[in-house]
Amino acid sequence: MKRSTLYPILIALFLCAALPLILSGKTGEPAPQFTATASNGKIVHLADYRGKYVVLEWHNNGCPYVGKHYKSGNMQKLQKEWTGRGVVWFTILSSAPGEQGYMTANEENDYITKVQAAPTAALLDSTGQIGHLYDAKTSPQMVVINPQGVVIYDGAIDDKPTTDLEDVPTATNYVNLALEQAIAGKQVETPTTRPYGCSVKYANSAH
Amino acid sequence: MRRRRSSTKFPRTLGLGVALLLCAAGVQAAGTPIPHGTLELIAENQSIAAGHELYLGLHFQLEKGWHIYWVNPGDSGEPPRIKWQLPPDITVGEIEWPTPRRLGTPSIVDFGYEDEVTLIVPIHAQASLASQQSAQIGAEVKVLVCREICIPGKAQLSLTLPVKSQQSAPDAGTSGLFAAARKSLPRPAPRSWKFSVADANNSLVLSANLGHQVSQAVFFPLAESQIDDAAPQSLVPASAGFRLTLRKSDQLRKPIGRLKGVLVLSAAQAYIIDVPLGSPGLAENTGAEIYAAQFLEEVPLR
Repeated sequence: MKRSTLYPILIALFLCAALPLILSGKTGEPAPQFTATASNGKIVHLADYRGKYVVLEWHNNGCPYVGKHYKSGNMQKLQKEWTGRGVVWFTILSSAPGEQGYMTANEENDYITKVQAAPTAALLDSTGQIGHLYDAKTSPQMVVINPQGVVIYDGAIDDKPTTDLEDVPTATNYVNLALEQAIAGKQVETPTTRPYGCSVKYANSAH
Repeated sequence: MRRRRSSTKFPRTLGLGVALLLCAAGVQAAGTPIPHGTLELIAENQSIAAGHELYLGLHFQLEKGWHIYWVNPGDSGEPPRIKWQLPPDITVGEIEWPTPRRLGTPSIVDFGYEDEVTLIVPIHAQASLASQQSAQIGAEVKVLVCREICIPGKAQLSLTLPVKSQQSAPDAGTSGLFAAARKSLPRPAPRSWKFSVADANNSLVLSANLGHQVSQAVFFPLAESQIDDAAPQSLVPASAGFRLTLRKSDQLRKPIGRLKGVLVLSAAQAYIIDVPLGSPGLAENTGAEIYAAQFLEEVPLR
């Protein structure tokens, strides 16, 4: 085989091998790009939000760990506070149809109204595509992306991995910490933690 | 405390049948409901003696398909948490966790127990307990019970044990559960076995010299966020042991000093190992004390 034909093949092979690494969405690496349909009917391209901080929140309204943050009003408070400061907040629903937490657009819109949630948008990801791109394991797993499109936080919402509402006021919130530190131009001290919660209810997951 | 009658006066088969019925009735009557199961606080002896140790047990019975979690729950979930309510004369030790199983899906793997499990815990009665007639032991247990979905449960359990001057014989009604619980505990690995752990980019490679070839092994890490729980563990048999490649967790940001956990070779062979990274010559495993000490660090009782 001639060199001229061998090189493109080698490069292609290298790219194939490197692709999962590029797309892993780990802290310190570029956030994997996605396009999604929001419950409000809009099409969302992550790429359109370059220049802003973006928070991704994995959601399943039947999960008691998620329930802790919504029943206490903590999640709504975070959404209001940060979107009020110009941060983009996407709630992501990766539950497959028939699984806990799966919502149609209308159901999700009703839920948002009912619990007075205030994300920028709720993204319907019933194929699990976005969830797998970010290797989301639990709800509520949280990811923070900086204006340069780099993941600066990936992990738990806070340091109290329980379902107890009484733990919310005393918890250290990692999303707040990451955003405050990054906005202040500081290094994010805790860029990754073990996400706690319910497993994400992906399609085809063997029970 | 549960009491079961001896069946020795009956013909054997009839006695066995009656015992099973009583056993089933006992479980029904004594278990406190938790989501999709029951939980019971049991004692190994019918009384407690001042100056002695006694084992308590938390006996979980779960409906088919539901599970609870090991001390390291894996990718999701959380272990049961116990808040003890004890007289000042009684101190409590650490939970002795049975060997867990890998549960979940290919992309999300949890460590826990299905069907039935007894978590045993030693308590120690100080000499001053002798002035009491009885000891009231309470436990508030928070437990997450999961199948495809998870339901948090809470149970308030209690047990009253008479205080005796001498330690009583084991309670025949609970001895089976304690025996089963002890059988399911991982044991310290034999001293002659040698382990080493090497840091290899995205993986930790656990090498074992057991003196014989091993073609099957599963490792359960004691600490969260050291290895990727869902990643396949690839084993290469060696002439005197094996080499097991464990993918590092994405959350692992600093090099680890030691790899601690439970190594399962077969259903009846589970061992506690604690291996320092590198320096293969010094890779002695140090046994059960480390296991208990680590639990103390990892799961503060709240």
